[in-house]
Amino acid sequence: MTSVGRRVPRVDAVEKVTGSAVYGADLALPGMLHGAVLRSPHAHARIVAVDIARAERVPGVRAVATGRDVPFTFGASIRDQPFLAVDRVRFVGEPVVAVAADTELQAQAAVELVDVAYEGLPAVLDARSALAPDAPLVHPDLHAYPRGNHEIVEHSNVDTVARFRHGDLAAGFARADVVFEDEFSAQALSHAALETHVAVAAYHPASRGYTLWTSSDRPFQLRGELAAALGLASSQVRVVVGYVGGSFGGKNTLVAEAVAVALARQAPGRPVRVELSREEDLTASQARMPALVRLQTGVLRDGTLTARRAEFLWDGGAYASNAVGVAVRGPKAVFGPYRIPAVEYESRMVYTNRQPTGSYRGYGTTQAAWACESQMDMIARRLGIDPLEIRRRNGYEDGDAWINGQVMHGLNAREPLERVAAAIGWGTVDRAPAPHLRRGKGLATMIKETATPTSSNVVLKVEQDGRLVVLCAAPEIGAGQATVLSQMAADAVGVPLDAVSLPPADTATSPYNGPVASSRTTFHVGNAIRTAGAEIRRKALALAGDLLEVDPADLDLSEGVVVARGVGPRATLGELLARRGAEGCSLVAEARYSSAGSPLLAADPGLGSVSTIFWMISAQAAEIEVDTETGVIRVVRVAAAADVGRPVNPVGCEQQIEGGVVMGLSNALFEDLVLDGGRIANGTLADYKVATLQDVPEIVPIIVESDHPEAPFGAKGIGEPAAAATAPAIANALCDAVGVRITDLPLTPARVLAAIEAERAREVAAGGSTNRS
Amino acid sequence: MNRLRPFVFHQPTTLDEAVRILAAERGAARPLAGGTDLVVDMKLGRARPPVVVNLKRIRGLDRIEPVDGGTRIGALVRIAAIQASAIVRERYPALWRASCTLATPPIRNLATIGGNLGRGSPAGDMAPPLIVHGALVEVEGPGGRRTVPIQDLHLGPGITCLAPGEVITAVVLPAPPPHGGSAFRKLGKRGGGWDIALVGAAAGLVLGGDGAIADARIALASVAPTPFRARAAEAALRGRPPSEEHFARAAGIAAEEARPISDVRASAAYRRSLARVLVLRTLRDAAGLALDAAVPR
Amino acid sequence: MIAVTVTVNGTRHDVEVEPQVTLLELLRERLFLRGAKEGCGVGECGACLVLLDGEPVSSCLVLAADADGRAVETVEGLARDGALDPVQAAFVDHGAIQCGYCTPAMVLAAEALLRRSPDPGPAETAEALAGVLCRCGSYPKVLAAVAAAAATKAVR
Repeated sequence: MTSVGRRVPRVDAVEKVTGSAVYGADLALPGMLHGAVLRSPHAHARIVAVDIARAERVPGVRAVATGRDVPFTFGASIRDQPFLAVDRVRFVGEPVVAVAADTELQAQAAVELVDVAYEGLPAVLDARSALAPDAPLVHPDLHAYPRGNHEIVEHSNVDTVARFRHGDLAAGFARADVVFEDEFSAQALSHAALETHVAVAAYHPASRGYTLWTSSDRPFQLRGELAAALGLASSQVRVVVGYVGGSFGGKNTLVAEAVAVALARQAPGRPVRVELSREEDLTASQARMPALVRLQTGVLRDGTLTARRAEFLWDGGAYASNAVGVAVRGPKAVFGPYRIPAVEYESRMVYTNRQPTGSYRGYGTTQAAWACESQMDMIARRLGIDPLEIRRRNGYEDGDAWINGQVMHGLNAREPLERVAAAIGWGTVDRAPAPHLRRGKGLATMIKETATPTSSNVVLKVEQDGRLVVLCAAPEIGAGQATVLSQMAADAVGVPLDAVSLPPADTATSPYNGPVASSRTTFHVGNAIRTAGAEIRRKALALAGDLLEVDPADLDLSEGVVVARGVGPRATLGELLARRGAEGCSLVAEARYSSAGSPLLAADPGLGSVSTIFWMISAQAAEIEVDTETGVIRVVRVAAAADVGRPVNPVGCEQQIEGGVVMGLSNALFEDLVLDGGRIANGTLADYKVATLQDVPEIVPIIVESDHPEAPFGAKGIGEPAAAATAPAIANALCDAVGVRITDLPLTPARVLAAIEAERAREVAAGGSTNRS
Repeated sequence: MNRLRPFVFHQPTTLDEAVRILAAERGAARPLAGGTDLVVDMKLGRARPPVVVNLKRIRGLDRIEPVDGGTRIGALVRIAAIQASAIVRERYPALWRASCTLATPPIRNLATIGGNLGRGSPAGDMAPPLIVHGALVEVEGPGGRRTVPIQDLHLGPGITCLAPGEVITAVVLPAPPPHGGSAFRKLGKRGGGWDIALVGAAAGLVLGGDGAIADARIALASVAPTPFRARAAEAALRGRPPSEEHFARAAGIAAEEARPISDVRASAAYRRSLARVLVLRTLRDAAGLALDAAVPR
Repeated sequence: MIAVTVTVNGTRHDVEVEPQVTLLELLRERLFLRGAKEGCGVGECGACLVLLDGEPVSSCLVLAADADGRAVETVEGLARDGALDPVQAAFVDHGAIQCGYCTPAMVLAAEALLRRSPDPGPAETAEALAGVLCRCGSYPKVLAAVAAAAATKAVR
């Protein structure tokens, strides 16, 4: 029986349910020291003096590191970030001095004895102020930093500019009956993975190299970033990743890692562990990037979109971190899964004196879809068109051209929306159970491309006992990578699922892989597995033919057993290898998949770099109940559908879809990292609230299928699109329920109540009419 | 993760011993009960007591027992035990409801009623229902035992009238009045009831033989520096029929007399709106129970 | 140092701890039971939930000294002779696990619930497990798993 497509239990389930799974936070090594960090209390200040003498005298302290001890900078796109602040601090919570001691308690106590003198500097606390001509510069030396080839504005706070244009915008707007202009904002969010940022680093003086055990979604990219920062060859750094307690786009930069490395340099031979407290994780690690989105959309009276122009202003925080790509690629999702003849965006990201912000599940699509789908409903309501109908009227079909002219194949554009609408009874109104409660329904849909081109390599190895080992650097961050990759490997080779194992990702032994990000792992690693699996299969059958003296063409490998056609089972894979026992034998195959050069990427001239190897489309429909006296929104039901290609593990797809709704709901209603004078005002989980079991509505997960010509076993991706449609679906339902439109996230009870009261006041002023548009 | 800093730890087994240590250490010592506030404050660096006095080895403080027609709840009774108590559920609905919404089960299994009161948080869940139920707080200290009406316990945020060395040993709830009803509601940041209160409201009504309101009590959390008793609203209800009109008026008065502040959890204006709505709803709830009690079965 | 005698998963341990050591630290760092996780250290996330005399508590807020003379159950104690207990098996079968960081706590909270209330409805389950955060959002499948475990236990 094949494994792909079946509802198999996750391969990591038993380890996780028995408490034996080892996460980054569980790692303990002999001689390991524990780190603690002194962080900046200022949003922007010059460091005048650092005195570590008292801290060094604390019993148990083995190393104290300051910025001057680690004279390097890192950054995936702009090398702008010091390991520890050197001469100035740029956000509240920035690491300034680190201490390593025998125990975490000693380290934390010692950190408090470090004295730092600061001289305050004027701070930039939001994106708009960062653009002011007289704004203080967060990085006066931006122009001099090593960076990639993206556009910046020198001697300003603008560290990224990206533009895209396709079609005749002027003609599109000229043709429009109505032009809508609206502004939307999306807030800063914490990824709030249950496992905080944690890393153990060891320095090896003989090789001048490092080993880093960490919880990250990208071992090779982290290795590259670290090596580049330290001026080392990439193989001088080894990154090992076990189980990761959640990432959601958050564990992709040097956070705990930077501090651990800084301390390990000072304590050769002693591994140093650094684990962020939850408060540090909330306030000083990477957050979702806040965005202001201005949308201008031309529409015919029948709802047909003629043109859309978008301006994005992203608050990138104090360091560029992983955010440049978000600012460059994220805005594409603002055009939605809609045929729009002319599109343009201008995206600017600015430095501010807040914690670094960057990627979050969806890589900018949560912010872009918020704007797009809110405005789609505003358009529909103004024009008197059903919100489902306007989306149908403009929706993509397979074979349409995408925003860069690339022909869209392998997507099921229509079904997600239709299925979620049907699932919540779109068009019917449920009665609210009490006079102060109002019910409403809302829809939203979104499209996400994947990072292109990227590549994945795998090595498959059959052990002497016949078990299949998959060596690839695709950490299990929770999204089910280990299970789907094991399933595909089992089928590609012809062994049972329980004969497959995926050791922890290790850059020293795993071949190169792109990041576990952009919903790319199933597709890219799966393609490499498919190729390598076929090769292993050939080798296994050749070996069997040799040993059994049968023509390999007459042999088949299924469920780990070699079967001779017309004869029956002859030997298991393990038995075959055992026959080479004295001499010894492994079967090994490697393969690489890259999306580069695929004919599917053909686009209009000059726009090929925008192409994507696949698209994911998702839709959600929400039914909510609003308490008109308190402003509290209760989400009653959410139907969520995603086009996944073919599901490798339907349970895993449902987990992602349901989990996306939970996260999207939590983001939409509860979450906001509130900045107050440069300091996060709600930096504990007591005040930064995320959804619990009691907040969860009925969720209807719907897996939609499509045929993608290059997808391994038909599978595309699912992780990101699951979350982006929830917030606009809820906001649209809110408008349906009580007639108010909120364009800023989150939809807090206070904000909802204020909007309801303002609407009531308008109605009274308008002469008591209760009609709502 | 944050580590607790070392402290001198005392584990007295008698109340006298606890009082003696706390009195001797004066402000330096903090009593430890459930730990769900003190340990949190110590981990976050908000409190660094050099001495911690564990009260949980003292016997006899963890019982719910009948006294003189009323009920005595020992200071070490955990919130989960209050929630599980049939006596509380039947006789003191406001307190019972508050115990169901105080944080989450793994916290309710640790947190104690004495700790919740001693902490003195304006957002504390236990004080408003206890005010409505007319509870007395038993305190033991170097000067012996005394009793404090619950509404006099709190003086400001985190400040109680307890002198150094004094500890709360119990709360005593009088017998619930006949033809009475009480209720509690709160709203937290996630909308539901289980978070720290943006506003919490407790109300109690007693109906007289004529069907009018003979006594009314309204107490609120998170709208003033201490648990807040809405006396003007109470006065506006006395002698009136238990009607929607009077409840709405009283709720408006309660919202006006409240003194909420703006903080990261909610604005003062929103808290005032919530106070009005929650008082109205708890009055309706309490009236429903009182009317049930007044109707002969 | 404080002498503490604590029974963990049926095994008696005599340890000496400093007053500031929490039960969670004792379990993870001294007894090497790493199933309970520290997600916040201040009782908000529930990842450190263990059963203390059968009741779910946030072990990050319990001083190890207060576990003296008491029985602690952790996730490591649930499986017997390698066989998963019904709650664990239901979590596996119903896909109630993603990153898994909250899983030991969820499983123990469910275990405590089912001992007290063998046939809980979804609302009761949600209330009992609400103290454990799952950022992956496995909640719907957790509800299904707990219902299935209740049914399995009822059959036994």
